[in-house]
Formats: sequence, C-alpha cells, structure tokens
Amino acid sequence: MLQASRWRTYAAALILAAAIAIPGTADAYVGPGAGFAFVSSFLVLFSTILIVFASLLIWPFRVLWRAVTRRTSAKPKIKRFIVCGFDGQDPQLTDKFMAEGKLPNFERLAKMGCYKPLKTTFPALSPVAWSSFSTGSRPARHNIYDFLDRDRRTYLPVLSSTKIGSIDKFLNIGPFQIPREKPEIRLLRKSKPFWTILGEHNIWSTVVRVPITFPPDRFYGAQLSAMCVPDLLGTQGTFLLFTTRPDDDTFKEGGMRVKVHMDGDRVEGTLLGPENILRQGTPPLELPVSADLDRTDSTAAVRFGDEEVDLQLNELSDWVQLTFNAAPMVKVRGIARVMMTEMNGHFSLYMTPIAIDPDKPAMPISHPDYYSVYLAKMQGKYSTLGLAEDTWALNEDVIEDRHFRELALDIDDERKEMFFTSLDKLRKGSLVCVFDATDRIQHMYWRYLEKGHPADDGRESDCRNAIEEIYVRNDKIVGELLDKVGPDDLLMVLSDHGFASFRRGVNLNRWLMDNGYLYLKEGKTGSEEWLLDVDWSRTKAYCLGLSGMFFNIAGREAQGIVDPADVPALKEEIAGKLKGLRDEDNDEVAIIEAFDTAKLYTGPYLENAPEFVIGYNRGYRTSWDCATGVVDAPLYEDNVKAWSGDHCVDPRLVPGVLFCNRAIDVDDPALIDIAPTALQQFGVEPPKHMDGQPLFRDSNDPPRETNS
Amino acid sequence: MSLLNSVLGGVFDILLLPFRSLPPMIGLVVISALCSVGMLLGYKATSNQPAIEAVKRKIAAGLFEIRLYNDDIVAILKAQGAILRDNLRYLGLNMVPMVFMMVPFVLVIAQLQFHYGYEGLEANEPVLLQVTLQEGASSDVSLELPDGVRLDAPAVRMAALPGTAWRLVPESSGSYELGIIVGSERLTKTLVVDDTVTRRSPFRLAPSFLNQLLYPAEPPLPADSAAVEIALHYPDRELSVLGFGQHWLVWFFLLTIVLAFAMKGWFGVTI
Repeated sequence: MLQASRWRTYAAALILAAAIAIPGTADAYVGPGAGFAFVSSFLVLFSTILIVFASLLIWPFRVLWRAVTRRTSAKPKIKRFIVCGFDGQDPQLTDKFMAEGKLPNFERLAKMGCYKPLKTTFPALSPVAWSSFSTGSRPARHNIYDFLDRDRRTYLPVLSSTKIGSIDKFLNIGPFQIPREKPEIRLLRKSKPFWTILGEHNIWSTVVRVPITFPPDRFYGAQLSAMCVPDLLGTQGTFLLFTTRPDDDTFKEGGMRVKVHMDGDRVEGTLLGPENILRQGTPPLELPVSADLDRTDSTAAVRFGDEEVDLQLNELSDWVQLTFNAAPMVKVRGIARVMMTEMNGHFSLYMTPIAIDPDKPAMPISHPDYYSVYLAKMQGKYSTLGLAEDTWALNEDVIEDRHFRELALDIDDERKEMFFTSLDKLRKGSLVCVFDATDRIQHMYWRYLEKGHPADDGRESDCRNAIEEIYVRNDKIVGELLDKVGPDDLLMVLSDHGFASFRRGVNLNRWLMDNGYLYLKEGKTGSEEWLLDVDWSRTKAYCLGLSGMFFNIAGREAQGIVDPADVPALKEEIAGKLKGLRDEDNDEVAIIEAFDTAKLYTGPYLENAPEFVIGYNRGYRTSWDCATGVVDAPLYEDNVKAWSGDHCVDPRLVPGVLFCNRAIDVDDPALIDIAPTALQQFGVEPPKHMDGQPLFRDSNDPPRETNS
Repeated sequence: MSLLNSVLGGVFDILLLPFRSLPPMIGLVVISALCSVGMLLGYKATSNQPAIEAVKRKIAAGLFEIRLYNDDIVAILKAQGAILRDNLRYLGLNMVPMVFMMVPFVLVIAQLQFHYGYEGLEANEPVLLQVTLQEGASSDVSLELPDGVRLDAPAVRMAALPGTAWRLVPESSGSYELGIIVGSERLTKTLVVDDTVTRRSPFRLAPSFLNQLLYPAEPPLPADSAAVEIALHYPDRELSVLGFGQHWLVWFFLLTIVLAFAMKGWFGVTI
C-alpha cells in the first residue's frame, strides 16, 4: 500500500516536472482533472468562510438572546467539571491493585484530593445508579428501578427507561405505505439531570455515553446516548450467527441463528433486517449475504449487499456497513463487526448486533441530532448500541474469550477518543463520559479471579488477567486526564457500583411457589418464560428483572389479589422469611435482606417501585431462569456461564469508588451527591427535590444528613 | 507523436461522427460523460483513496464543530484553522491524480479543440491564409488554389514577419487542399468549408514536440521547410446554452466535473 502510494507520488512528480518544463500554452490545458481538487476545496473554503462569517455576525445576538432567555446569574467556583465514569470499578479491587503499585495515577489523584468508597443505589444496577447520578435523586424520583419493568396489564416485561411506540397511520400507495406520524420514542426517566439545570443557567455540558439517555435529553450542550439505544432490529442487542449447522437450541439471552447454504466454496444466505415500514405488511428488509471461501488460506471474501469484506478465520473485522434498501432512494443503514468462526465441514459467521450507523442514524441517538455524525466524522464509525459489548455471544460460546475482550477494548478505545476530543474542546462547563469496559470485563471474566468458580471450566484462556488489565488501562486514562486538568477544574473519577462474584443463582419465583405465594395454572409446569404459566388469580408475589419482587396488588396489577391494606403485613411476612435465607447445599447465606422500598425511598413515583429490592449475599444473584420468568427450576443452581461476576447484590456490599482532585468535606459520599455538587460548584442552587447533598460544604451550611 | 496523433485523430473522428450533423452541445455532452468516466477511473487508480476519505471526514467534522460550538468564538476559529489545514492536505492529496490526469487530458482536449474550437466556414465567406517563413528564407511564395476557392485580394507581404498573407473565398462547401509554393518546396494546407462538427485545422506548424502535442489536427511541416507556420484563420466558436454562450472548454470543464461528481458513487470513488 505504502509502496504503491510512493510510486504514485514519484511518478506524479516526474510528470509535473515535465509539464512545468514545457512552457506556454500547456498551462491552459491542465484540464478538468484539476477541477476535482479545486472545485471541492473551493466549495469547502467558501462554505467555511461563509459559516464562520455568519457565526461571528450572529454571535453577539446569540449571546444577548441567551442572556435574556437563560438565567446567567450563576457565579461558578470552577471552570470545568469533568466526570470520568468507570462503570463497575470496584473499591476492593482498586485497593488491591493500588497496594500492588499497579495504579500509580489513581494513587496520584487520591493524594491530590481524595479517594473514598461511593455509596450506590438500591438496587446497585447501572440504569438505576446512573439515573441517580444524573438527577441527584433516589429511584422514587427518577422512576428507574431496574433494566425491566412489568406491564401491569399483561405482567410481561417492558424496558424500564424507554418507550418506543409503533406507527399506526399510513398513506397507502400501491405496495408502499407512507407513515403519517412519527413513532413515539420517549425517555421514561423522570426528574431533571444536572446538565439540563446547568444549561438553564447558560452552562454548557458534553455528555458522552451516560446510561439512560435514550432518547437524548434536550439541553444546552451535546449528548451521545447510551444504555437502551436499540440495535437496528429494535432489540437491546441481538447477535447473529450465519451457519450451515442444523437448528439447535435457540440462544437463550439474545442471539439469532440464520441458516445459510454452502455449495463447495460458495456460501449464500439472506440477512433479515428491520421491518420495512414503507412497504405494506412491513416485511423485514433483506440483504443478500454470500461468501467465497479459500480454505487453503483460511480466508473468505464475504459480501453483504454491495459491501465486501475480506475475513481471516477467527479474526474480527472492522466495522462493516450494512445498507438495506427500504424504497427507491430510501436506505436504512447499520454497522456490525463480523467473524468467520468455522469454514471446514460447516461454515459459521458471527455478526455483532447491528448498531445504528452514527453517520446516518435511523433513530435519534444524540443531541443535537448531528452530534453523532460529528463524532463519526471525527473518529470514524463507532458502536452506538446501548449495551455495546456483546456479552451474550460469549455467554453462548459463539465467540471466544479473546474476541469478547477485543470487542470490549475496541469500544473502550472509541470512547476514549470521544472523551479526550470533547475534553480538548471544553473550555468552560461540564463533561461526563462513562466507560463501560470495566463492568463488562468483570461480568465476563470474574470466573478467572477466584479459585473454584463454577464457571471456570479450566479451559486455556489468555484473558485470565483481563480484570487487572482493565484497571491498569483505566489508570492510564486517569494519567492522561491528569495532564489535561488545570487548577480551576474539578475532576471526579467514579464508578456507579462495585462488583462481586456470581457463583450461585437463586430462583425466587421458585421460592415463592414453594412457600405458597405463587401458583401455576392448572396443568402447567412453570417452564414457560416470562411467567406465562403463572396463575395470577391466586398469586400474591412474583419476581421480574434482576432485583425486584412485586406484589400482585388489587387495583394496581390487572389481576391483582392482594388487598392494599394487607401489603404491610405481607411485606413483613415475606421479608422475615427471606432475611438470612440459607443455601443449605453450600452452607451459605444467599439473601441478606429484602429491602422494603417504601422505607428506602420517598418520591412521586414510589407507586411504580417493586415491593422489595432483594439484597443477595456476595456470590449469589437472581438465577438466569428467574430473570426470564421461568418458575420450573431449582431454587439454587451453580452459575456456569461466562457471565460470572455481578453487582445485583445487597448494595451495601458493592459501593463504587470516588476519586477527586480536591478534598471533599464529607466521609460518606454517595452517587446522588454528585449532581448537587456539580450545581453548587457552578454557583447554581441545587433544587430542593434532589436527595443528594453537595460534597463541598461552607461553614454556614446546615448539618449534612447521613446518606443511607 | 505523428502516429499517436493520427490514431487519436481517427478515433475522435469516428467517435464524433454520429454527432456531426447534430447541434455541437449534444456531442460534447456525450464526450464529457465518457471523459468523466475516464477521469473517475484514473482518479481512483492514482489517488490515495483512504487518505482522501479520511481528510474529507475531518473537514466535515470541522464544519459540524463550527455549528456545535457556535457560542464559542475561540472554538469556531480553531475549527476554521483545522479546516484550512485539512483543506491544504486535501489539495496536496489531489495533486498526484491531477498530474496523472493531465497527460491524457492534454491529448483529449487538443483533439476536441479542433472539432469544437472553431466555427465552420460558409461558402463565399472570406478567410485569411497566412504563411510565416524562417528568417532569411526565400520570399518567393505563391499559392495554388483548387477549384472552388478563389483569391479575394492579391497577396500581401507582411512587414514585421517574413511571410505572406492571402484572403481567400471558398465558393462552395467541401474540403480543399491549398498548395503553397515556397521557392522549390510545395506545402499543403487543408481548408474545410462545412458547418457540421468536424475536424478543422487552423495551423500547420514546425515539427516540435509541443506543436505536435497541441496541434495534432494536421501533420507538422517538414523539418527542413522554409515555412514555420501556415495559419488559416477560422473564426472562434462559442457554444450557446439557453442563450448563454461560452467557449466549448468552459462547458467541457463544467460537464465533466458535474457528471463525474454525479457518477462517483457508481464507481466507488471518493473525490
């Protein structure tokens, strides 16, 4: 490639020299070839100058308008507020690696200001925790209690943070239909994040990949959405496996098998994409997939429509553009990475969930709309999926340890570039960026951290040290960050929760059935997912999601039977039985406590809360079956999946970390304190509804309430 | 070079034959489209496509940045600076394919100039024939006219240059060969009286590389000829679209650029 480029340059130089040596009329005959360069450059120059001129011209008016429309009385104590979030960074591991001298930059930051455990939320789940971080409130004020909520009419799970509606009104033209309305895409998180309040006071914020920001907030600043951004198929992340192998079990947690046909060295199939809403009947969009195999070199030329990519066996590709034709001149674009996992005997090709193309987003994934495009132009394609790291493919053994690590670290690199680019542009205001790799790597490789983990099958893996490596990697980011932070900047490096082992799964729906709180329909076994076998006319309590237990309350649930007046007594009864629940097989306490949410929270959305947040002991978590609503399963079972670490335990066991470049004035900081601190530091009075309190205190501040 | 010119001349004569009797703009559009395809393929082969793609993305990012940080004057000016820097890089990356494309396009444009650059003569329309001689060459120059062409005025000797000029009048349409006798040497010059799109040669020149490159419509004069130039003054042609007349090269330039930009997607070329 480089040689070809040099050859071109030398040859061009020779021709140019010859042309220059020929005098006179030849100059007039440079020809339209030059036009490409000069027309494009001229257009760019002209439009740039025009835009800059227009920007400069209207700048005073914008300043005036902002002064009139937004409150500008704030007197900031800081120039920039920078939050670098490492999702799931655990204080115990941080302490360990710091003691071993592996995190010099974290140590440096701790010495500059402070390092403390950071109290997380009940439950210790990322959507809940980051919502509390951004709003300074406990869940009853922001309305996010878990990844999933239940539909009160059907008892089926629904996404807790986002509602994506359908389109019902169309104008029919032949085989086509034109939508007459836009689908509703609504963020269900309530309360105001601190960046919105800062914006109201004319203070800019850049918010990069903070969970529960889809659809993006509208405020004075820029935001790239994160957790809950769907893939192009509309799911929270469905990987695809194109394979010639016969149908087997379906993937349990979110993959899809696509049958392909092999004829000699040629493989052909079809990728079924999102629904084509422009065609009557909304059939799925299709993209032909083919591969020409070269078994001697273990390579293949794989085509997705017009896009061709050369693959080496077991090597991940870069981002591949997938373009579906919805109608003449209408395309739907996604991006994915692919990997051929076998080609001899059978052929299999893994494809990551198809992410929305940030360059041409099919949904609003940023604010302003063009912010995702700007980032794509700046640094190339990047993953836009909410849960971008494909944990399910590793859980299902479709990819190997090293592939998952590569995927996770590549996404981490993308994030790092976004973060530092944004930091370089930020002269005043706030910047928040969340890195997810620490969380995902710990989820998937915790089995290598402790001896005898049931999910460690003893297989060779070069990822046995992956957790330590990600902490060291975070340390390097902190090092780079410290070099860019000035004395007027307030820097916080924090995590939303810590981490624990997930060795044993607990099926609380089974426990509820065994203890007479949950009943199955006549003749049903309880093996159906999503509690479809449950007899609601007799059921008093059920579990859904990763941490919550709900009562089937009359007047609230469609088939509720528990009288609201009986709720306190039932709570006491069940909480009493669950407190210290033992796993007799392993002679360990599985559940420390079931926390009554009415005692945990106050706020306008308390009625949407589950009745209990279950405080599992370290090593325990809701089982895979329980999480998907299967009742017919053992109460306790070993977790043998790669997803071997978790944080859905008693939140007191898994606080996050807080590093700050300034000493804070409190001993028990909590995640909900960050938002009021940000406002206070920019001279904005934190609103009364915020549960958190600023971490920096003046001598005349009232006494601080202790964080529960 | 003469061989190349005669081959190219033949190719272009054949290529333009179907458009000969049509308005000149039609043939020019078709030729421009073909040239655009050639330009795209040439550009793709000789340019550093990944680098061009990368720098264009950066330029676009800069434009978005101006929009995004439009409250921050410093950010706007920094983005402007970055765009200018990237634009220079873009220009630099375009130099290589530009130089490569210069070679074929000099040949193509030279050929097209003699089809589209000059207005056709009409019967009975006077035209000036001018022969320029070497310094010190014999001033004994005479003219042999074929049937159908007559002299409109006696020969005029030019004072400033050693040479002679005649005003001729072709009496009917057709292609003629004029004979010019310089001492003992007999030279020829074509005269085309026709209003179709056809090859017209206004000059026959001494046989230098540059002359052959830029004036390929007729063979050069013999190397030892006493004449250095035989010029026949065809009027310049303007091509008019919706009453807007421009030199054909301007239309050619615009058409090739526009068509190339329109077709770049089909050929997978980043410009």
